[in-house]
Amino acid sequence: MSRQNTIDKALDCYDDEKNGYYKRLADLVAVPSESQNPDRVPSLYQYLEEQMVPAFTKLGFETKIYDNPFDSCGPVLLATRIEDESLPTIFAYGHGDVVLGMEGQWEEDRDPWALTFDGDKIYGRGTADNKGQHLAHMVAIESVLETRGKLGINVKFVIETGEENGSRGLREIIHDNRDDFASDAMLASDGPRANIAEPNISLGNRGCMNFGLEANFREGGHHSGNWGGLLRSPAHRLNHAISSIISPKGEILVEGWRPQGIPDSVREAALAGERAAGETGPKIDKDWGEPGLTGSQKVSMWNSFEVLAMQIGNPDRPVNAVPPWARAACQLRHVIETKQEDILPSLRRHLDEHGFTDIEITEPPEANRGYFVPGRTNPDHPWAIWLKTAVEKTSGQNCGIVPCSGGSNITGIIAEELGIPFAWLPMSYLACSQHAPNEHILKSLMREGMGIIAGVYWELGSEEGYRP
Amino acid sequence: MSEEASRSGALSRGHDYFDKGGFEKELADRVAIRSESQRPEGLPELHRYIGEAMIPAFDEMGFTHKVFENPFEGCGPFLLAERHEEDALPTVLGYGHGDVIQGLDDMWTKGKGPWVTDRQGDKIYGRGTADNKGQHTVNMAAMRAVLQERGRLGFNAKVLIEMGEENGSKGLREVVTENKSEFAADVFIGSDGPRVRADWPTLTLGNRGTEPFDLLVDLRDGGHHSGNWGGLLASPGAILLNALATIVDDNGAIQVEGWLPPPVSNSVRMALKDIEIDGGPDAPEIDPGWGQPGLTPAEKVYAWNSFEVLALKIGNPDNPVNAIPGKAWAHCQLRYVVGTDRDNLISNLEKHLKKHGFENVQILPPPPQNTGGFVASQTDMDHPWAKWVRSSIEETMGEPPAIIPSMGGSIGNDIFTDLLGLPAIWLPHSYAACSQHAPDEHILFSGFRNAMEVMTGIYWDLGEGATPTGDAA
Repeated sequence: MSRQNTIDKALDCYDDEKNGYYKRLADLVAVPSESQNPDRVPSLYQYLEEQMVPAFTKLGFETKIYDNPFDSCGPVLLATRIEDESLPTIFAYGHGDVVLGMEGQWEEDRDPWALTFDGDKIYGRGTADNKGQHLAHMVAIESVLETRGKLGINVKFVIETGEENGSRGLREIIHDNRDDFASDAMLASDGPRANIAEPNISLGNRGCMNFGLEANFREGGHHSGNWGGLLRSPAHRLNHAISSIISPKGEILVEGWRPQGIPDSVREAALAGERAAGETGPKIDKDWGEPGLTGSQKVSMWNSFEVLAMQIGNPDRPVNAVPPWARAACQLRHVIETKQEDILPSLRRHLDEHGFTDIEITEPPEANRGYFVPGRTNPDHPWAIWLKTAVEKTSGQNCGIVPCSGGSNITGIIAEELGIPFAWLPMSYLACSQHAPNEHILKSLMREGMGIIAGVYWELGSEEGYRP
Repeated sequence: MSEEASRSGALSRGHDYFDKGGFEKELADRVAIRSESQRPEGLPELHRYIGEAMIPAFDEMGFTHKVFENPFEGCGPFLLAERHEEDALPTVLGYGHGDVIQGLDDMWTKGKGPWVTDRQGDKIYGRGTADNKGQHTVNMAAMRAVLQERGRLGFNAKVLIEMGEENGSKGLREVVTENKSEFAADVFIGSDGPRVRADWPTLTLGNRGTEPFDLLVDLRDGGHHSGNWGGLLASPGAILLNALATIVDDNGAIQVEGWLPPPVSNSVRMALKDIEIDGGPDAPEIDPGWGQPGLTPAEKVYAWNSFEVLALKIGNPDNPVNAIPGKAWAHCQLRYVVGTDRDNLISNLEKHLKKHGFENVQILPPPPQNTGGFVASQTDMDHPWAKWVRSSIEETMGEPPAIIPSMGGSIGNDIFTDLLGLPAIWLPHSYAACSQHAPDEHILFSGFRNAMEVMTGIYWDLGEGATPTGDAA
């Protein structure tokens, strides 16, 4: 009965491709739980009711499903295992929904809803984001239970099904059922490691604010010969408006969108972190973005603006007309120093001051609302220190600290609603194409993560477990 | 009958044609042929238009005809119809195009869609009503009215009907070059495009050219999570939009060196001084402050260049996801007047982008659906034929026509001016708000009825003998 036994059990399950981890993952991936597609709400229920509930029940958890207060949004599962009221309670988390399958766009016409093994890569929608990661936590819990007979702590495992659609409703569900969800610290895995070569914990996340920009001047197009030069062009106006927001080198030019007052501890932790995508990752553009910051700092302590999508005219069949409108789907990823409620007012002020009163800020499309509030636990918080130590003990490797991960997740909601510290232990890697076709995990890397998380759950229930 | 033949008799035949439904019937039959030249599927319809709509009509008027196949694969044919009365008479080359842009069937909000004409009050809706079926239908009917009134035209007529104008007139140049003597004439008089005002006959003496091209920023395959990578990966969208923002300023004025013509000349300023851009009641609102500073609206469109982004796509606009897109693409167009350094437009843009640090913005040929490029060309305002046409219109209308040195839209005018060496005079019948390249294309019945008078008057006068050629001017 030891940590090593637990890790061995977890790895046995992982390596048993026929009946173990990958068998279970294949079942999870087969559920087309697209939360950005309103037609898939039944799949979101199916994921919880047919996959999660039986699995957690087997692990001795009580389960409860909360319907989402918003239309066309998926439910939230709370699986609870209370061993002793006096023990600390860990809030574990995963999300069962995925982004759109993008069928037909995958290389070699891979099926997003099935696992495809190709060397060290295992393809499938949700393998990295997030099915493969919360499944690893469940296997870890199972291994501890098999080894020790009990966890030694209480666990509240939350599986939501709307993360890729901005976690709509999660805040309301937790808010209205605060006692059900009350816990002492959050531990979850999502997203990629900052550096493929070593484990890290992420102590925060950027928020995400999606919005539209639109120049909508008239109904219908007008012949570009007869009217070209006379009619205010929505294309030129919107192009200029966006060019006033972001420079050709990626610097953000909106006052109020440039974060002020980042703590030194965060700045230093970010500086220590190194981002490495692995061999297959995209090439990082060193000259892009805010000058004077390292790559890690750009992601951990700075905001980034993106034009996610944009359309002018009819791109499939261009005609010689001054287009009637131009529309862009935009996004600001932002750290806690930029208050979410200030983002759009700052932008409006910026546009007005630059003469772009004819550019409207619009609601993002229903399918990609993307609201996430940012959150951050300080690197010197006892939970962060405990977890870093546990990971190092288990892995024998240094555990890096990412003070704030680039991606957006639900930690802001957890921090605000439950007031608990949180930490993420990501298992994927940066080049996993998690929001694009060809999403995959690396078999070897996920195996490492499996071992680490099994060891961490063992440690949580040991005499040296986290005791706030 | 010939003793009673008169100018007014010809004009009244034209009135009957409009007032007794003849025009609407002929136009409906022609609009019903889906002669879309920007779609490969449209090719059989291009042939059908020549075979079923044009040849029988010209036959009836005693024209002979010849069909020239297009040297380019998949492009429509050309019809040359001819009525030769006497060697000593002047020969007029007329023009129309029977092809139309895409129907955009799903996008119509008025009428009965693109392929069925629908009269609503003064408006007749349908694809090609304005551009160009309605216009050559009027010109053919005007010749017919003169023929019926006088028993002969009194001049020699050649009429060219092309079937690929909306696809860049591919093959026209080659066919005319190969068969120059067959197209030879003394003057070109054709109709396309809009008048300066729906009720003001307009004489157009040239056209802006178009230079279509694409811009592409292609940084990597596929999208990358905008949270994990945002700030680290260069954004193709941000780069492309910034690049476009250097080509025109935020008020639409062109900023590329070598993309502008010399300053507008005094004679052009004079000709344009009374011309207001008025596209009728449904015309879009003109922003007087838009575009090149210091120019009147008429000067901006008839004597200056303009740049437009016709289409642009970044990511997936129908289903945006939270990823940094790998590519950003725009399809652009420069409209330019005679005097612009037309041979160096693309190389000047290359220099411009390089100067502004946009090495990663590629300039590419336009997409196959919209390759049409035209060169600018112009006939002098004081040319004897220009003056002659002006007085014929004045006789019909009792007041002078508007004169446009160079129309905003683009046509293959240089084929007539440069290749055939003809004075080229355009008499557009439509009006600016006709939505000719968009859904809801339409014409005004009243405007076209007036065009019928103007054209009948010109064709009548051409047979009266007092033309520049007849006078050996």
